[in-house]
Amino acid sequence: MYSIRRWWDRHGIRIGLICLVLGAAWGVRQTQGGAVLEVYQWVTRPFVGRPDEAQQAESVRVRELEQRLVELQSQNQRLQELLGYVNERPTEGVVTPVIGRSADHWWQQITLGRGSRDGIQVGYIVAGNGGIVGRVTQVTPSTSRVLLISDPTSQVGVTISRSRFMGYIRGQSANRVIMEFFDKVPDVRPGDVVSTSSYSQLFPPGLPVGIVESINLNKSPAPEAVIELSAPISHLEWVILYPNSTVEESGTSEPLSQDSQSAEGFTEEERL
Amino acid sequence: MTNLSIKNLSQLHPNTRRMWDWAVTAGSVLLCLLILPTRLPGMELLQVAPNWLLIWVVAWSVKRTVFQGAIAGLALGLIQDGMTSPEPTHVLSLAIVGIFTARLQKQRYIKEDFISIALIVFGMAVLAETIIAIQFSFHSFGRDASEAQRTLSEIWIYHQRIALSSAILSSLWAPAVYYPLNRWWEQMSELEQPQT
Repeated sequence: MYSIRRWWDRHGIRIGLICLVLGAAWGVRQTQGGAVLEVYQWVTRPFVGRPDEAQQAESVRVRELEQRLVELQSQNQRLQELLGYVNERPTEGVVTPVIGRSADHWWQQITLGRGSRDGIQVGYIVAGNGGIVGRVTQVTPSTSRVLLISDPTSQVGVTISRSRFMGYIRGQSANRVIMEFFDKVPDVRPGDVVSTSSYSQLFPPGLPVGIVESINLNKSPAPEAVIELSAPISHLEWVILYPNSTVEESGTSEPLSQDSQSAEGFTEEERL
Repeated sequence: MTNLSIKNLSQLHPNTRRMWDWAVTAGSVLLCLLILPTRLPGMELLQVAPNWLLIWVVAWSVKRTVFQGAIAGLALGLIQDGMTSPEPTHVLSLAIVGIFTARLQKQRYIKEDFISIALIVFGMAVLAETIIAIQFSFHSFGRDASEAQRTLSEIWIYHQRIALSSAILSSLWAPAVYYPLNRWWEQMSELEQPQT
């Protein structure tokens, strides 16, 4: 008994400290670093400027509008064929500063300076100047974390706006993403506009994504195209957050796997 | 200035001083965590930033036991998992870095200076990225091609790029973390000596 007591006197503080440190670290992990992000937002608040509308590159804006136009023209044609198809009007977005990038190089994430206090929820769509950027995966009271579409784990169902051929994009950790087609011989040309498809459960259809840069039709099992994202994903300073209607309907339990599953289900159908 | 602070610290009660020691250590970890998501000019190479937590683990483990190195790696790995994504885990890479750095027994083989710290950080950064890449590879083995989010070739091409740039940047920035922390811990252990 006495020896245990003496051992405890000698090592008790150290064991207590180790437990404290590991407990705190575990807490940070379970809360997804929420406390750290709150402190980070508080520290960086003085350095975040205001959005300067005039400074935003005009050519990028024009490109976005052009892409939307192509998308709308194509959609319009289909509307004339499909009676009763109702297009949802885009809702007002929240302009938000980007306060941080991902804390590791293997993940493509950004941290935004607004959170649940401003009404942001998990699943919100994040758009940059020119097209979609990603979606909100985690929210703290005043920050939110965004998984970019350039991350290899985010797969988005997309369509070629001109010919309506479907596929999905996989991130490549850079400003280029790979689009895999569901068809063996898709009608696609370099310069075609790519937008989100109605098969994507994470993003509403018709949002601009990027432009086809090059095509590899011989790729197995499916043809691939390299898409240049239209939003400047590596140097974003301000983004716009939109509420996502598609997620609210389908539920947010396992959104990522749902999306890839639905994409695969579609592949099966197409091949049959 | 340092003499003054030493005098002030030596006048404190040993327990208060230990509290200060732990507060400074925890504060330095918090500082590393806060620098982690920023991309200040000059801290970026091919969109890769220094791995501050790895630098901290190396600075901590260089003059400590294997067990202490492993605990530090474990704790910081858990925190980094929270900051990014828990799968694959950073715990493994940072704990192994802590253990290896403590095993090096730097005092015996290598002269104490910035260059050797930078070299150790360089090697450990490559090791840590390799461990993460291996974990990603295991993940991709379990699934078929359509389900795998990263293919093997993608993982290892990406690994080359970030292992090199992260190692270069981390080793260049290592003295900025190591020098003040090492100085603080040295002073603390000097003050601790006559007491025990």
